[in-house]
Amino acid sequence: MIEQGSTAIEQGSIAGMSPLLRVEGVSKRFGGVNALRGVSLEIRSGEVHALLGENGAGKSTLIKILSGVHVHDGGSIEIDGKPVSFASPAQSRDAGVAVVYQDLSLVESLSVADNLLLGREPRTRFGVLRKSLLMAQAEAFLKSQNIPLDARAMVGSLPFAYRQMTEIAKALMGDVRLLILDEPTSALTDDEEKILFEAIRAVAARGVGVIYVTHRLNEVFRISNRVTVFRDGQNAGTFITQETNMRQLVGAIVGPDHAVLKADDTASAQSPRAPAHSADRPVLDLRDVGNDRLDRVNLQLRGGEIHGLAGLIGSGRTEILQTIFGLLPVQSGQASLDGAALAASGPAAAIGQGIALVPEDRHVQGLVLDHSIERNLTLPRLPDFSRLGWLRRRTASAHANAAMRRLAVKAPGALTPVKNLSGGNQQKVVFGKWNEPRPRVLLLDEPTVGVDVGAREEIYGVIRAAAAAGSGVLLVSSDLSELLQLCDRISIVVDGRITKTISRHDLGSAEDLHHLIQLSQPSEEHAA
Amino acid sequence: MTETPPNTATAKGAAHPAGGRSALRHLLQGERPYMLYVAFAVMLVVFSLASPWFLSIDNFLNIGRQTTLVSIIAVGMTFVIISRQIDLSVASTLALSGMSASLAMAFVANNWVVGAVAGLGTGALIGLVNGVLTTRLEIPSFLVTLGTLSGARGLALMVTNTKPVIITNEYYFAIFGEGSVLGIPAPILWTLGVTIAGILLLHYSVYGRRVYAAGGNPTAALYSGVNIKQVTTLAFVLTGTLAGLASLILSARSHAARPDVVQGMELDVIASVILGGCSLFGGRGFVLGTLLGSLIIGTLNNGLVLLGVSSSLQLVIKGAIIVAAVAFTRR
Repeated sequence: MIEQGSTAIEQGSIAGMSPLLRVEGVSKRFGGVNALRGVSLEIRSGEVHALLGENGAGKSTLIKILSGVHVHDGGSIEIDGKPVSFASPAQSRDAGVAVVYQDLSLVESLSVADNLLLGREPRTRFGVLRKSLLMAQAEAFLKSQNIPLDARAMVGSLPFAYRQMTEIAKALMGDVRLLILDEPTSALTDDEEKILFEAIRAVAARGVGVIYVTHRLNEVFRISNRVTVFRDGQNAGTFITQETNMRQLVGAIVGPDHAVLKADDTASAQSPRAPAHSADRPVLDLRDVGNDRLDRVNLQLRGGEIHGLAGLIGSGRTEILQTIFGLLPVQSGQASLDGAALAASGPAAAIGQGIALVPEDRHVQGLVLDHSIERNLTLPRLPDFSRLGWLRRRTASAHANAAMRRLAVKAPGALTPVKNLSGGNQQKVVFGKWNEPRPRVLLLDEPTVGVDVGAREEIYGVIRAAAAAGSGVLLVSSDLSELLQLCDRISIVVDGRITKTISRHDLGSAEDLHHLIQLSQPSEEHAA
Repeated sequence: MTETPPNTATAKGAAHPAGGRSALRHLLQGERPYMLYVAFAVMLVVFSLASPWFLSIDNFLNIGRQTTLVSIIAVGMTFVIISRQIDLSVASTLALSGMSASLAMAFVANNWVVGAVAGLGTGALIGLVNGVLTTRLEIPSFLVTLGTLSGARGLALMVTNTKPVIITNEYYFAIFGEGSVLGIPAPILWTLGVTIAGILLLHYSVYGRRVYAAGGNPTAALYSGVNIKQVTTLAFVLTGTLAGLASLILSARSHAARPDVVQGMELDVIASVILGGCSLFGGRGFVLGTLLGSLIIGTLNNGLVLLGVSSSLQLVIKGAIIVAAVAFTRR
């Protein structure tokens, strides 16, 4: 596939021109993990080059190397034919590389002009700000870049697309040769996306090379000239956008062998487990549940079932879990647990009803990092380890030790601070908070992100055991092979709605699922 | 995966006996091994050498009495700071509670119970206001308590048009001020009692665990079902109530409540807590450390006076110590 792609490019119109950026066989290790294993990438001036791959494929590592956050271990990087290696973001910036990250870095209480010239405002000899000159400089810059932004507008009052555009304009201040956009559209509406794409095209037309990182395949067809796909830290193909199609890209992202292999895994992994009790009344029943983030969600979760929620980041998967857990209100529709109405007044009530959540970000939402394993494990159910409000330390510590043993948490003892544990062991502690007694409903949000392979298998075991013991498990994951490996049914979430629920048996491979997700997205002119 | 069982088995074996020892060690030294004790000892030695009057029983009882107010309120402040908040209003709360106690005895009934209920109740009420404004309106506690610092002081000055109120109840004097058991003065007994209660509540109760969690990581605590608003509000109520108790002790000692007392004492209280090993960033600290911190501040005040250091310079030295202590706790 790689050969096929590159020969096609050699025949392209810009062949022979030396590329703006040449990444050749770059590798990077983090501890025992090979994040990049010799990737190559060529960006020409004036092109928009999309970069695709699953989470962990190496896209962000390469971007961090190009922006000077990390230094590569092997291979070479050239800009305009000169080899470079950035020890700091400042050096990368000086070489003409600008990066726009997902999380915006703007001061909302200042105007667009103030933000553009932040830190390099024009001043008089006495250090007094020259406001009119600042405005004039900003307006002239925006005009020269063909960016349709009002320099006087307050950033905080702008719609998201225009903030994103301000961010891009800010990145373009100075002599920029290469602009890197890291998932810039994840929170945009269609109209906003159009506006942003026009701005990006205008930038490319001036001869800047643009690297466009995204998870959304249909965007690739709308904005890019070429596409490169990474898989497991290696190149999985480079294509000219007009000559490829969605099926080919999905194949490159997922990897055909990989998909078949995972499907086999699933079959063998599933056989020892009892099938979901399909005749049972659902444990959890959502009927037309809606709030600010959700739109008439219907979902029936059975006891013993592992039910997957698939969708893009920002599609509302996490919000479904948060609503069930009482972190978001149920404003319309009905939610019931075992036939009785769900309290939904807050996490404490949800926990009391037997609902447990393993949240997306274990450092922020799951654990008190400074505190010991024991303190973290016992936190959700302190009343169970107390009498009249006084802790029964021995009971608490026995519980903690039992949970550590059951989940094989590798640590010197129950009093070890959680921050000293590896990612996998930290995640086991988060699971341990909810392991005993068994919750009626176990909500899992990206349970294996940042977890190494060995611990991942152990966590899968814990999830299967919970389902086998009768808990209903609702699993959100961006790792499609994970969903296929674990789930009995999978629901697709788009814009706060569940658009489709499919039985695992009706899905062949991760590729099928990837298709289904992409095809469920609105505005799909390149779908066929 | 195959090496897991032996690993966890040893982990378990090591954890159990170490558990008890470690809890005791935490109670004694928090997370900064013995630094406090060393600092305290060094200071005692320096002052003993520098001043002939320093090393005497009378002087130590003196330090104890002078430190009482700060020590008692600092125990409450420990809960507030561990839950990632701050209470600047404690000195004003003390003043208003004292006025309330003395006026209740003057106008309602000259009974020490009436005075105690009025004083403690006023303190608790200001704490409740601090807590509710902080958690329900989500105003930073720094600003809320800056407001009550001014408001409560103003009210205290207003009720009698800045005049002191005389107290005449002998039981009141005995219980909160002048009585003693086995030669130990009542204020010091109150300090010991509050410290022990604080240790039990912070280190041995469900509430204490929740305070640590709410300050250590509020989001994770929320996701674990901890009612952070309630936990935080209670910490403010506790601190206000203890400021009320301190007002009873102070007014019993001087036989009167004055509206302009202990201005700026919040500095000593907060300094004691920080010096005692609490992190201003929440989630860490211990009650015994706070007591030691307040004794260090008290001894410092006493020693500097004995050495003839001007009160202005004392303020500078204390300020420097607070900043140094915060710099030290920050990782």
